[in-house]
Amino acid sequence: MNIEKVIFGFFIILALTLNFGFVMGEIEDPEHHNVMEFFSVILVNLIAMGLKLGDRSQIGALLLATSLVAVLQLISAAIVWTVAVHVTETGLAPGVMASIVSLAAGAMLANVVSVIMLVSDTLMSGR
Amino acid sequence: MATTSELDRVTAIVLRFMRRPILVLIVVYAIAISGLVLIPGQDAEGNPTHMSFFHAFYFLTYTATTTGFGEIPHPFTDAQRLWAIVLLYGSVVAWIYAISSIIRLVRNPHFQQAVAQRSFARSARGITEPFFIICGFGDTGSLLTRGLDDAGCTAVIIDKDEDRIKALSLRDYRKTMPGLCADASAPKHLIDAGVKHPNCRAIVALTDDEEVNIKITVMARLLNPSVRVICLSTVHRRGEYLDTIGAVETMDPFGAFAKWLGTALYAPLLHTLKHWLIGAQGFSLDKPLSPPKGVWILCGYGRMGQRLRESLHTHEVRTIIIDPDMEGAEDLPAKQKVLGYANADTLRKAGIGKAVGVVAATDSDSDNLGVLLAARSLNPNIYMVVRQNHHENELAFNAANADLIMQPSLITARNILFDLLSPLIHTFLDHMREDRETQLQEVIDRIIETLGTSVPHLWTATICQKDASAVTILKKRGYTITLVDILRDPLDRERNLACIPLVLNRRHGAIVMPDGTQAIKARDQILFCSTKYARRQVDATLNNEYTLQYVVNGVQKPRGYVMQWLARRLSSERALTLGG
Repeated sequence: MNIEKVIFGFFIILALTLNFGFVMGEIEDPEHHNVMEFFSVILVNLIAMGLKLGDRSQIGALLLATSLVAVLQLISAAIVWTVAVHVTETGLAPGVMASIVSLAAGAMLANVVSVIMLVSDTLMSGR
Repeated sequence: MATTSELDRVTAIVLRFMRRPILVLIVVYAIAISGLVLIPGQDAEGNPTHMSFFHAFYFLTYTATTTGFGEIPHPFTDAQRLWAIVLLYGSVVAWIYAISSIIRLVRNPHFQQAVAQRSFARSARGITEPFFIICGFGDTGSLLTRGLDDAGCTAVIIDKDEDRIKALSLRDYRKTMPGLCADASAPKHLIDAGVKHPNCRAIVALTDDEEVNIKITVMARLLNPSVRVICLSTVHRRGEYLDTIGAVETMDPFGAFAKWLGTALYAPLLHTLKHWLIGAQGFSLDKPLSPPKGVWILCGYGRMGQRLRESLHTHEVRTIIIDPDMEGAEDLPAKQKVLGYANADTLRKAGIGKAVGVVAATDSDSDNLGVLLAARSLNPNIYMVVRQNHHENELAFNAANADLIMQPSLITARNILFDLLSPLIHTFLDHMREDRETQLQEVIDRIIETLGTSVPHLWTATICQKDASAVTILKKRGYTITLVDILRDPLDRERNLACIPLVLNRRHGAIVMPDGTQAIKARDQILFCSTKYARRQVDATLNNEYTLQYVVNGVQKPRGYVMQWLARRLSSERALTLGG
């Protein structure tokens, strides 16, 4: 067993599962989308991105790219949330919530790709 | 412009050819439009008006092309209608003249040739990977192209014969092989084919005309002194002449063929290995060829027959010649030659009962097959070698069931293919040819053990930044990487990949069958024999520093910065605890 693989795999899969949990529910209903959960999604995604930095292999480059996409989408969602609540003070209207959740759903897709690559790379190397 | 460009030529032809029709159209339009503008008309209220230039041109555009939308902007007066009749006929005739000129131009064979050259030059210029130029798409040329295609290389082809170029376009090559029907010895066609292109690796002159081959060689040498030139030449004197040009490789098909037969008879094990390596049909390492030793009958004593006899004699094989002319055989003792066409009678005279083998090597396929049948009826056990001149007769030769079929075009094509793709195989074969039966047997045993029944794949790896990036990175960090290391299985370094290094070539000389303990250096070239799967794995190892590190010392290095930092912390802490 390789401790590096455990830590690496843990964060990458956690990024996906948390993301999935946040996206679950009625897309326009603020009750279904918890702000603490959203915060942890962003945090875990950032950690996963940090772990991917520095890998010079081809697959490492692709993994980093998926993380960058996910983080970009999540940060955009966070900006939308902040602006709606604190700047324009419209609150979490159904339209605003929908756009936040759809951005997070996009990030989830990137996380799915990331997990698929991680699993296939591990299976292929077979060690 | 100094260099001929077909792009300019096509445009120039079109412009020159269309000059008169375009002038006629312009004049007709000018007259018609001026008429329409000058002749007064009436608007709906009956006021006199004049047509504007825009309306006149619009009206003319649809009437001249016989579309006809009616009279605009107001219904015409009779005077206008009269003029409209004149301009309609005039402009339609002018258009028909222009269009028929275009059709005549398109059907002109010279124009078609120019267009073909233009598209050829374009596609040759667009090649982004290394490519070869092949002049002459006969049997040898098409076999060579097929071989290059199998190896994933691109070729550009020039042939004088239009039918051959048409045949080329119907071949199912995986790569695009641009072809041009033209005289390859004309420098402009060589330039179009890309002889000056930085990606052009070599030019191969394979036409059936010796003079043309020489001309191609000289032109190519002048146009691009750094390009490799391989020239087919059967005449020895020419070979010497070509040597004076310098850096030209001559390929003598008869000589190659004679050497081939000599190897087949004298070193059957090597012959079998060579053919098995290149994937020729019907060769198996378990059952090497075993031609008998004794007297051989050689039918046909032309240019090829003479080389064959020479080659057989250097290998101390006795021969008896049957030939109707005996040109060049005047000095041979009488009992070594029989005058006449090879048939049952002459074969008997040559002593077919006592001979161990027959070589049917005339330049006629039907004669060779005839000799084969006659020899077999006289001596059923005789070993038969037959020369197949034309590729299309392949089925008949396969049915004839000879012990060895030798096809000069195939042998030449394979030799050139080796020269182009894995030149190191010659080093290997030459080394093995020097009377090394036991070593050869060891090599064969090792190949059988490693590769088993899978199809062998010959390939060359070059240690450089582009093809082996991981090696350069690890060497910079001070690692020593040996051949054994890179042949370890990246899944489990205790196992080895099905891959055997045949030759390790470096500046100070080549090592045949390296034992693997040598450290790899930059610019080394290594010829491998492996399975396709093993090749992919070795290529991946050479280019992935983590895999390479694992196969070198078994350490799986953490990949990301964070993990590397963590690993360093942990190891230094461990060192501290151990030290304390």
